[in-house]
Amino acid sequence: MIPLEHYLYVAGALFAIGTLGFVVRRNLLVQLMSLELLLNAVNLTLVAFNRQHQDDHTGQLFAFFVIAVAAAEAAVGLAIVLALYRLRRSVRSDEATLLKN
Amino acid sequence: MGAPLVLDNVQSLPFIGPELTLGAGILLLLVWELVAHGARKRVGLLAIMFATLGAAGAQAAFALAHDAPAVSLFGGLLASDGFAHVFRVLFAFVTAVVALYAAPVRADDALPGKRSTGEMYLLLLTVALGLSFMAMSRHLLMIYLSIEIVSVISFVLAAFSIDDKKSSEGALKYVIYGGVASGIMLYGMSWLYGATQSLALPEIGARVAAMSAAQHGVPPVVFLATVCMLAGFGYKISAAPFHMWTPDVYEGAPTPVTAFLSVGPKAAGFAVLVRFFAEALRATGSLHASPWPLVAGVLAMLTMTVGNLSAIGQDNVKRMLAYSSIAHAGYMLLGFAVFSTTGTAAIVFYALTYCLMNLGAFLVVLALAEQNGGDESVGAFRGLGTRAPVLAACMAVFLFSLTGLPPFAGFVGKFYLFAALVRGGGNFTWLVATVGVLNSVVSLFYYARVLRSMYLTPAGASDAPVVVARRHTATAIALAVPTVALGVYWAPLYDLVARTVGMVP
Amino acid sequence: MAVDLTLVSFFALAALTLVSGAVVAFSRNIIHATVALLGCFLGIAGLYVQLSADFLAAVQVLVYVGGTLTLILFAVMLTARIEDVRTSNTSTGLPVGVALVAALLLVLGKVATTTAWPETPRAPMPSTAKLGHALLGDYLLPFELGSILLLAAMIGAVVLARRAVKRNWEKA
Repeated sequence: MIPLEHYLYVAGALFAIGTLGFVVRRNLLVQLMSLELLLNAVNLTLVAFNRQHQDDHTGQLFAFFVIAVAAAEAAVGLAIVLALYRLRRSVRSDEATLLKN
Repeated sequence: MGAPLVLDNVQSLPFIGPELTLGAGILLLLVWELVAHGARKRVGLLAIMFATLGAAGAQAAFALAHDAPAVSLFGGLLASDGFAHVFRVLFAFVTAVVALYAAPVRADDALPGKRSTGEMYLLLLTVALGLSFMAMSRHLLMIYLSIEIVSVISFVLAAFSIDDKKSSEGALKYVIYGGVASGIMLYGMSWLYGATQSLALPEIGARVAAMSAAQHGVPPVVFLATVCMLAGFGYKISAAPFHMWTPDVYEGAPTPVTAFLSVGPKAAGFAVLVRFFAEALRATGSLHASPWPLVAGVLAMLTMTVGNLSAIGQDNVKRMLAYSSIAHAGYMLLGFAVFSTTGTAAIVFYALTYCLMNLGAFLVVLALAEQNGGDESVGAFRGLGTRAPVLAACMAVFLFSLTGLPPFAGFVGKFYLFAALVRGGGNFTWLVATVGVLNSVVSLFYYARVLRSMYLTPAGASDAPVVVARRHTATAIALAVPTVALGVYWAPLYDLVARTVGMVP
Repeated sequence: MAVDLTLVSFFALAALTLVSGAVVAFSRNIIHATVALLGCFLGIAGLYVQLSADFLAAVQVLVYVGGTLTLILFAVMLTARIEDVRTSNTSTGLPVGVALVAALLLVLGKVATTTAWPETPRAPMPSTAKLGHALLGDYLLPFELGSILLLAAMIGAVVLARRAVKRNWEKA
């Protein structure tokens, strides 16, 4: 059986990729996609830890809720992206500068 | 205190009356929004909204007044105790005040191009429901879900202004930063779950205590997980360095929404933080036993300083109040540096007074901007002392209270926070307290700018007297009176808070 | 020596997940990024199967691939005009980001290797029935709360989207 650490490394690497994508990219849609990578990394961690339990599935249950909430968040987030795009015709986050100091 | 009684799903139902009421109100509003038209619709909306909030608040207040024993609901997912009741009453009150701000003035408010109050009310009630559950949660899954209800719906509310790029733009920053913050928080939760094999706060607390005892200190995995989770909580209470979204969202969002976001989610974030520190980390004020007082103290100093220094140069009063609300999160974080019963009581007491004065300040900005064609700059307040004496007097009360001057509620709140720090003793708490006092002095500068503009700058020739909507004046007075009263006679409220805080294990 | 098939499939799935994840985060072509997200989601679903989380694997495919990904794809199509697909993805702040993430990975690796995790993973067992019982039993309240969240988010998304349409109509 694959040891727990292997899954943690994969999840950690995915989390790092997501964070990096979020930090260095300026396209809002790519930033939202990087967020999905973060959440997937979290879910993998939860499910991997859950396997260490003998008879309990709370980790998987948590991951299930994370997936559901992520869908809701994506729907609202993309509705706002669309609304802003209609106003500004751009999806670059560094062009959203109306509110700079 | 002993372990509270744990109830199952059916037995728990009577204890979540306020939340069930809010849920029923949401469904009623949804149906009413679809079937009703014209003036009848407006009256119905107001009736449903205030009846729901009134009933929810009254049920929680009843439980609070009768000292209902603390019980654990739904097999340990929620706690129903005095601490939760205080916050449930507060959230119902705050939501009702905000609903009054946002109430439609004329029947034609629902025309195309105007915002629909019914939809806003429905979303406000949903956030209120999430806030109540945040204050009751004692399980990581419930904490996450209730935080997300509040966050996701707040994104929508922040984007609520029509044809306003600033509103959409602020909301987008809210979504992006909120998504990352909850991602990092979840990562922390998943590691905490892995290390302790549980999601329930009391069990986590027991395992963490056992691990800490075995390793003579907090294990690195718990420390890392908690720091990650603090990112998520810090985002909700807008503590530095997770505050970047605050000024943009607060400035861009419609003012009633801004007022709501600056008090509701922030107070609920502190409720969650208190419960998490008390139950899962079993935090104490001792610097030797755990790193938490140090972490909280550093966060508090950073947050206060960043908030106050950034507020100084702001000309838009809404944006200035946004930075000041960051600074106030820092003051409340002071209580975590000495995590004693007095420290916690001071946090909760300050949160209550902060809600009063901050709501009031935003209300005055709204009332004025409505007459001014949306001008929110400091200059818009010139001569307000003569143009609208009542409103100006209320604003002065709120600003003095926010600064922390006697005899206003803000002073009493700050006094208890600093008293808890001083009682904690030790060099570090003295340092933290000193930084806090210095910050209060700095905050006087920017609050005074508004005061000077109101009373010392004469009104221009073109400035007519401001005609303020009667309900705005009434609400401002209704918030100013307790702000003064609590500054003079605060003992009953403080005793109540101190008693309920003692019920958190 | 027989090749350990579990190990091979684990590494294949891990590679699929991480490589497509990297494409999502770093590709300059947003269409490529969106399609790579599919590979990442599927790789994670495969890892769930390996961890005997069968129900979650199904949910992952249905909700993420069927729902969220389609939503993102629509947003990409609606916002990105074809001619600036290639140029709309410039990256900044790379050194800072790399340093930040390297520090994160170092700390995580250190903690993961030094912490004594509970040993003995359980034998593979199906989880769908257990999750169903949990959702309608001990965790009924979160389940209901989740449905309230989805309802309110749906209303919110409709409110915002309808606004946008109205704006266009008003301009015309």
